[in-house]
Amino acid sequence: FVVEDVEERDGIRLSWNVWPSSRIEATRTVVPISALYVPFKEREDLPPVLYEPVTCKACRSILNPYCQIDVRGKLWICPFCLSRNAFPPHYKDISNTNLPAELLPKYTTIEYTLSRPVQVPPIFLFVVDTCLDAEDFQALKETITLGLSLLPPNALVGLITFGTMTQVHEIGFNACPKSYVFRGTKDYSPGQISSMLGITPRSTTLPSQQQQRPGQLHGAARFLQPVQDAEFQLTSILDNLSRDPWPVASDKRSLRCTGAALSVAVGILENSFPNSGARIMTFVGGPATEGPGMVVSNELREPIRSHHDIERDSVKHFKRATRFYESLAKRASSNGHVVDIYAGCLDQIGLLEMKSLSNLTNGALVLSDSFATLIFKQSFQRLFEKDEFGNLKMGFNATMDVQTSKELKVSGAIGHLTSAQKKSACVGETEIGVGQTSAWKIGSINPRTTLGVYFEVVSPAGQPVQQNQRGLIQFITHYQSSSGQYKLRVTTIARNFADAGSPAIAGSFDQEAAAVLMARIAVFKAEIDDSPDVLRWLDRMLIRLCQKFADYHKEDPTSFRLSENFGIYPQFMFHLRRSQFLQVFNNSPDETAFYRHILNEEDVNNSLVMIQPTLMSFSLDGQPQPVLLDSVSIKNDVILLLDTFFHILIWHGETIAQWRKANYQDQEGYENFKELLTLPISDAQDLLADRFPIPRYVVCDQGGSQARFLLSKLNPSTTHMSGGIYGSQNAAGQAIFTDDVSLQVFMEHLKRLAVGASTS
Amino acid sequence: ANQQAQAYYSGGGGAAVQQPSQDTQPAQLFTPGGGDIQQQQQPMTQLNQQFSQFGVSQQHPQLSNQRPSANSTNLIGLHPNPNELENDPPAINLPPNATLSQSPTANAHPSFKRSTLNVIPTTQSLINKLKIPLALVLTPYRSIETGEDPIPVISDTVISRCRRCRTYINPYVTFLEGGTRWKCCICNLSNEVPQMFDWDPHTNQPADRFKRAELNNSVVEFVAPSEYMVRPPQPPVYAFLIDVSYTSIQSGMVATVARTILETLDRIPNDDGRTKICLIAVNHALHFFNLPPNSSDPNMLVVGDLDDPFLPTPNDLLVNLAECRAGIDNLLTNLSDMFINSSGPESAMGTALKAAVQLTSPFGGKIMVMTAQLPNVGQGALKNREDIKILGTSKESSLLQPQGGGFYKNLAIDCSRSQISVDMFLFGSPYQDVATLQCLPKYTSGATYFYPGFNASRIEDALKLAHELSVVLSSPIALEAVMRVRATRGVRMSEYHGNFFVRSTDLLAMPTVPIDQSYCAEITLEENLNVPFVVFQTAVLHTTCYGERRIRVITLSLPTSANPSEIYASADEKAIVTLLANKAVERSQSSKLEDARDAIMNKVVDIFGQYKAIMTAGGGASAQLMISDNLKHLPLLLLGLLKNVGIRQSSHIPSDLRAYAQTLLTTLPTQSLIPYLYPTLYSLHNMPIEAGTLSEDGLRLPPKLNLTIEKFERHGLYLIEDGQQIFLWIGRDAVPQLVVDVFNLPSLQDLRPGKITLPLLDNPMSEKVNGIVNKVRESRRGPYKPHVYLVKEDGDPSLRSWALSLLIEDRFEMGLSYTQWLSTLRDKINSGSYN
Ligand SMILES: [Zn+2]
Ligand SMILES: [Zn+2]
Repeated sequence: FVVEDVEERDGIRLSWNVWPSSRIEATRTVVPISALYVPFKEREDLPPVLYEPVTCKACRSILNPYCQIDVRGKLWICPFCLSRNAFPPHYKDISNTNLPAELLPKYTTIEYTLSRPVQVPPIFLFVVDTCLDAEDFQALKETITLGLSLLPPNALVGLITFGTMTQVHEIGFNACPKSYVFRGTKDYSPGQISSMLGITPRSTTLPSQQQQRPGQLHGAARFLQPVQDAEFQLTSILDNLSRDPWPVASDKRSLRCTGAALSVAVGILENSFPNSGARIMTFVGGPATEGPGMVVSNELREPIRSHHDIERDSVKHFKRATRFYESLAKRASSNGHVVDIYAGCLDQIGLLEMKSLSNLTNGALVLSDSFATLIFKQSFQRLFEKDEFGNLKMGFNATMDVQTSKELKVSGAIGHLTSAQKKSACVGETEIGVGQTSAWKIGSINPRTTLGVYFEVVSPAGQPVQQNQRGLIQFITHYQSSSGQYKLRVTTIARNFADAGSPAIAGSFDQEAAAVLMARIAVFKAEIDDSPDVLRWLDRMLIRLCQKFADYHKEDPTSFRLSENFGIYPQFMFHLRRSQFLQVFNNSPDETAFYRHILNEEDVNNSLVMIQPTLMSFSLDGQPQPVLLDSVSIKNDVILLLDTFFHILIWHGETIAQWRKANYQDQEGYENFKELLTLPISDAQDLLADRFPIPRYVVCDQGGSQARFLLSKLNPSTTHMSGGIYGSQNAAGQAIFTDDVSLQVFMEHLKRLAVGASTS
Repeated sequence: ANQQAQAYYSGGGGAAVQQPSQDTQPAQLFTPGGGDIQQQQQPMTQLNQQFSQFGVSQQHPQLSNQRPSANSTNLIGLHPNPNELENDPPAINLPPNATLSQSPTANAHPSFKRSTLNVIPTTQSLINKLKIPLALVLTPYRSIETGEDPIPVISDTVISRCRRCRTYINPYVTFLEGGTRWKCCICNLSNEVPQMFDWDPHTNQPADRFKRAELNNSVVEFVAPSEYMVRPPQPPVYAFLIDVSYTSIQSGMVATVARTILETLDRIPNDDGRTKICLIAVNHALHFFNLPPNSSDPNMLVVGDLDDPFLPTPNDLLVNLAECRAGIDNLLTNLSDMFINSSGPESAMGTALKAAVQLTSPFGGKIMVMTAQLPNVGQGALKNREDIKILGTSKESSLLQPQGGGFYKNLAIDCSRSQISVDMFLFGSPYQDVATLQCLPKYTSGATYFYPGFNASRIEDALKLAHELSVVLSSPIALEAVMRVRATRGVRMSEYHGNFFVRSTDLLAMPTVPIDQSYCAEITLEENLNVPFVVFQTAVLHTTCYGERRIRVITLSLPTSANPSEIYASADEKAIVTLLANKAVERSQSSKLEDARDAIMNKVVDIFGQYKAIMTAGGGASAQLMISDNLKHLPLLLLGLLKNVGIRQSSHIPSDLRAYAQTLLTTLPTQSLIPYLYPTLYSLHNMPIEAGTLSEDGLRLPPKLNLTIEKFERHGLYLIEDGQQIFLWIGRDAVPQLVVDVFNLPSLQDLRPGKITLPLLDNPMSEKVNGIVNKVRESRRGPYKPHVYLVKEDGDPSLRSWALSLLIEDRFEMGLSYTQWLSTLRDKINSGSYN
């Protein structure tokens, strides 16, 4: 049993791979039974299954390799509810040697292509800020135009622009450019929007003699056209699009009605295409300064809010704006629509207020300094990656159902999702993340989409589950593929229960998955609570986990030992505590929202990079090697490559930097130096290759201002406070000016607390 | 040949040659205006007529110092002569030396300004006693006809005004102290003569002040210096609000309007290239057009927020006509097609007007609304309140009052403040609510044009609209105008009637002044007059459409008298009717239609009764109905007013038609109003040989006939017209040759009644009939191009009835014949206390 193989096959990592058999024991194991699941995991080896899934008549779970089957009686027993189900008539030839794919052990994950056709092709509605400077605006128009060519030809496209007002462009109108204009200061109801756009019939007293002309477009079709028909028209609209024409005084911000524009976008789709795959791609160059969702006034003397302002509860628009975007996000999500936010702005755009749009719909979030940057351009294009059949690697309007065998209940899920309000028998009492349901809506899924699902053990009246009994979880994900079909992906896993105290449980701990799953809970809590409470909770959980699973003698910190599969877990927690996810004050509120969003998107490995960045050292002395994320790794004669997931940073030690400035790399006889310089660059390119969004790429020298990105991530083993923890003034490394405790100090405290020794 | 043709047109199967009907008064055939015995007894009047024919003013003070007395005429049994309706009003006989000018144009021509009495009674009690209302009829911007001298312009900016009453120097002032001062003819203040008054700036030489235009002309225009400007002269602005709802597109209205505007663009006043234009298309939403300069692609911006309209972009909605011509051309060319899918009956015209006001208010100008739909959504939404059950009842007048809680009146006042006037081109049927929508033109000096049942697929409809719209568009307009009437001390303008907004008690705001619209000002004497003559001066401060600030000044001087006979003899019956038409309309809206009719009746009874009491010996009952000869058409014209669509008692007149007629009654200049009340009737099949041929003065018209069916022969062809429509009435026995010659159809059976385009055929009869129709159309002031309706005596009953309703000397529905009307008047007078 190798977790990586399971991850490869089923797209799933569990915190525990053997489960405690009673509720009490499960509580004692501290980290809940939980899974990180990638429903859209790329599986090129999966067979095409073009028939309908066989479902249990009682609980709607789906036939899978863990079902008991009776080939003679043509029956199968549902392992979730134990109902007996007859095979459908066309399974009459079934035998132990002639089994359908879904019953073969290797297909614990299988994907059905459903016969019911998708009525509406995927929809892409571009919502474009026109309060941009000329260069930015041009770059944005070009990038969107390029994006059109990357869409499936039948995809429906539409365009909304906004500035002081919102304009909905009728791209099906050929006589001249035509758009519907909405006030930026007003929150129009969905009914008003559709009636103003003529999407719904305005009047029942249409002239009776009126005939529908052939080729005449009605309703939303006037605004959303197949890209293959409308590409020329839309391109020309984009070409001729001018920046917001309303004058802006020098002491004012542009009037920007982001909220009103999004409200119109959500309203159009909600009215016309409920429960159809649709992406609202929002491009924003600054904060909303008027109307619903206003983040800051257009007076430049009023600065945009900081974390401190929010903490002091002194932000005028914060709560109202947040509520506004949240309600929009819920409407979009409940209709299966996605809202992406692409920010091109040096300053904040109000992402903190707007974050629920992307968080609840699994929309993309890209922060860049400008739409002319590669970060924006490449990230945007990367969204439209296609599989070998030319279909977008993107599923729409997804719903994930979770089915559990009776010993397990669902506590909740954390990720970019909303509750689908399914109160099935699988729903447990404990609530973690979005709970009280066993199904969730996910506006869009992509190969990176990773959902954290949390479970609890239920054993009736203290009766532990029988030893070696298997518990089952089935993930059923229904979505609309870009190829125009509905698909149903089914992943079924089974794990054994073990008695309390069985080493099998400890041995099954996946500390990496557990760290990420706990990180998601911590961030979920942090979104609601103050971060000191969250830090204390994290500490408490860590201590309790160590108390439970470490070897030690009571009150003797030196005896404290953790087995290998728990060994680096405290270190993850240490870095998580000081990460930007929980320590927000060094970042803007928008950045915090962005970082947290990405953490809830990515799989175990990428999330770990975010929690504990990787550091590679390159020197002339040997092979490149990973080094400690610690100030001791800072040396004059090395090049460091830091990957925080959000930043990729190449740092040249002082000596290397001097040589480089002297251009040794261009001189004969210094080929090895030249190679040393290029190695980290090519490694960095590899890291950039499939990341979304594209990370910031920084090249800096020791002592340069950009080097602070590196220093802020390093464990401060040598600080200006430490006075040499290793007892030596000439220790290698660089002193970091910080009040943070070092990992070493943290570990000392942990050991003492875990063993119950008094803290000094 | 013509005689032979006429013979053909006679009845009797074409075999018998018949002479023209003896009913036609023979004298009329040759000498219009002559032939009346009464007339010949008045050489003075005759003389005046001759002068007027030669273009010489009969008002020349030197000609007569003696004022005529009233000549009583008995109307009972007297056939009115329609040709006499052309006569000029009684002469103005000012005392000698009233004016310092010898110019025949020193006093106002009645087409600019006329008074109901050309002798002003010296006391209000005398006016009250005579019962003839005292009022001025003003047409300050009447059209200047070809061949007519333009209005003199004083461009040296030497504007001499009275320090106290602000009167402009005029031919009725007197110079004092060796010509260094002048005495105001209105308040008697002595004013300094400006230094440059005797200087010619062009030659830089001293000039003769007595040659100055303002001392020799009643109507002059001063170029105003900058003190007369609150802001730089505004450019002419035209905002077109075009209804593009389903009905309007289908009727071809939009296409016709767009094409006409497009074809008229080069003639819209734009001498100095400043004219601005915008276009808003309206259905359930407002469609603005962004027209950037030097781009031929309009950009359509749709605003659906009808409760809270706004301008969708700050730029390029109201654009310079010259700079943005390519885009405007493109837009107008494609406008109708752009809305080919327009569905539904909604029109947010009220909201559109709000938006248009917002857009144009920085400048002012003209909003031109073209709509075939009742504004029924958004602000100012109206209900279809037409209720045929209440037509003809005392509740009918409620349909003539504006609905919608004052929205349109308030909007009109906003417009007036922002120097915007609104023209309404209404195409609606079945119901457009003319009564409510005409509020906008009414208070903003706009005009209402009505095309019920418009359908551009009928070529006549399209041509009429195209003609009238292009005339309106290409007419010069005066902008941001205010009008004030000053009069000799003791004389006060007490009430005004017409299309404007009274800004302060004596200041009429007229955002634009349309050509040929007329206004009335009622006069009260606050003091007894002890001056020999009274001066009325109308000043219209305005901006010309080429950016010049100007003041048009019209000075009218009238003698005073305490002698009722002189006063009666000076009464202008047409001016009186013009005022009474205004008052009747107002009465019908503020009270009831029947009250308005009663008021007309009472007024004429009063006038005749008082005349009887004052001017005739006979007390008690009389078999006669006596009046001063110059007022002998008053009963006839007032009968016409009583029978006009705007006033007539009937339960068959849709309120839109009535309301439209009422707008005409209150705005038409007297020259057009008179035929609107008393239409003209020509007999065509037997017209005199020279009729329809050209003379030096243009085409000769046949003599006018009395408006009665008695004049009609069964084989005849007649033309009836009132300035708004022309009927060609063909008798049931008309011979085929007549049908062939005029209509190019084989026989009467092939003629279809209704709107027609008269063919121009290669025969004398066709040429003459066409000539007469064209002459009739041209001779009326205003942009109207009346439709020609063919009416068959035995054809379509509703059309026939319509034509017959114009024969006002006959009974029609509940309306009395002229003879009955006179007897009724006489009986009322006899039973009243007039003795
Ligand atoms: Zn089941
Ligand atoms: Zn004066």
